[in-house]
Amino acid sequence: MKKVILSLILGATSALTFSQTVQDSVAQTPQQQNAAQRILSANNGNAVTIGGYGEVVYNQPEGDNGTLDVHRLVMLLGYRFSDKVQFVSEIEFEHVSEVYVEQAFVNYNVANNLNLRAGLMLVPMGIVNEYHEPTTFNGVSRPAMDHEIVPTTWREIGIGVNGRINSASLSYQAYIFNGFKSTNADGSGNIGGKSGLRGGRQKGIESTINKPNFASKVEYYGLPGLRLGLSGYVGRTQADDEVDHLPGADVGLSMVGFDARYVKNKFTARGQVIYASLTDTEDYNELTGSELGSALAGWYAEAAYNILPIEKEQRLFAFARYEQYDTHAETEGSLMRNDAYNRDDLTMGLSYHIANGVVFKGDYQIKNNAVSGSDAQNQINLGVGVWF
Amino acid sequence: MKFRKLFPIVFSVLFLMSFGLPKSLDKRVDKEVKDVFEISSYNFSSIEISTSIKSQLPSAITNENFFKISDQGAVLGYVYLDKAPSKTAQFDYLVIFDKNLKIARTKVLIYREEYGGEIGSKRWLSQFTGKSNKDSLSDIAAISGATISVRSMKNAMSDILKSIGILHNKKII
Repeated sequence: MKKVILSLILGATSALTFSQTVQDSVAQTPQQQNAAQRILSANNGNAVTIGGYGEVVYNQPEGDNGTLDVHRLVMLLGYRFSDKVQFVSEIEFEHVSEVYVEQAFVNYNVANNLNLRAGLMLVPMGIVNEYHEPTTFNGVSRPAMDHEIVPTTWREIGIGVNGRINSASLSYQAYIFNGFKSTNADGSGNIGGKSGLRGGRQKGIESTINKPNFASKVEYYGLPGLRLGLSGYVGRTQADDEVDHLPGADVGLSMVGFDARYVKNKFTARGQVIYASLTDTEDYNELTGSELGSALAGWYAEAAYNILPIEKEQRLFAFARYEQYDTHAETEGSLMRNDAYNRDDLTMGLSYHIANGVVFKGDYQIKNNAVSGSDAQNQINLGVGVWF
Repeated sequence: MKFRKLFPIVFSVLFLMSFGLPKSLDKRVDKEVKDVFEISSYNFSSIEISTSIKSQLPSAITNENFFKISDQGAVLGYVYLDKAPSKTAQFDYLVIFDKNLKIARTKVLIYREEYGGEIGSKRWLSQFTGKSNKDSLSDIAAISGATISVRSMKNAMSDILKSIGILHNKKII
């Protein structure tokens, strides 16, 4: 037993003593999980972690000009101060010219099953908000409901705890966050009908706060191949000081999400359901002239099959995803439901992973909405995504 | 001259820093062994393996990570401790074999990344229980969001099962 201890001592000390040695992080095998993981890891003894992900896309709607865009390029930078204390950051260039900080937090591993985390963090809601690297999802674009209902990439400043209970195959997260900003000092509104809460994200940019919000997620992965998640978010939006006493300046928000991911051999499937209930939207709409719904709802289901033999490193997934999402699932007072906000998309395509961490994507989207006789534009999308 | 003065300080710091981790690990290994074999005392002994045989083994077995477990002269089984890569770090795991060289227990002792740690799930790891070097690991289920750690653990388990098979054929265990 002493020798076991000795070997572990040697392992631990060599990791500690050589942590300052510069190594080539590019040589590490990239993997298909969450980008923050690279940084949170000990990186085989490296104190500094550098990584990145990016996606360059081509969207071609029927009958219109296409768009070519470096949609996002994200630089990951992390530092491990000790085995227990790490800093994680993601600096994002969106559409080349816009710079954002997507994550910037300190993670403190207090105990085996408990981490304390504070800073700019992702809100745990659904699958894609946390797992958003282009090699981790099918389709050139993220699911549309992870844009309109869950406003990915949804991040705010906060503090909380997370951890994992191995004996029960459970993981948990619970954070207090700064909430959406609904109303500006001039009385204009940031959230509304078509894009729901999206415009209200404060993203850590001189955020205003008067009422903290609470977010949590529990995941269960005890059944073979299956992973289930239950997310909850409750709170109220924020408003600038000048207006926050006015009725309707802020609205109440409760969001609940259920997601499932399944993998068996060459077959994968995932799906999620999100429902958000809002209060005081009638007052809010009156104050700001917005058309915010009192409920936002959506779901999607996706199946994919790897056409290549399972022993190959390359993977070629053929997939189909159907999603339905409505930012006017319910409305309050005199606001009529706008059927154009009740949308559904069918996306079919291929994801060709030519190496772990590099994917070529192509898909066709049949878009539709509930307006009778509407003729929403279908779209062809092509893209390349990398993650390292 | 300065270095000479630093040596004892550096060593004592490293010594103190490294003591907490193995101590708690040691306790966890001890607990698993006692639990698997339902015993309160046992002996660990290392197994002499020649360099030429070691080089044939897919796992890096040394006399510091592979031990025979015995109680009053009777062989109960074997224990193997190793590290395997997760996405960017390494995790420590433990495998206990029974006297028939079937896996009696696997456990992830230390996992150093936030994501992928799902492989520590007791239920997922129990899929390895009862496997021997004659069994295929193709039925071990995947875990969404932990693809790489699952692959790594399966490779590590496949290697140690093969190594155990070789050692058995060579009449070493």
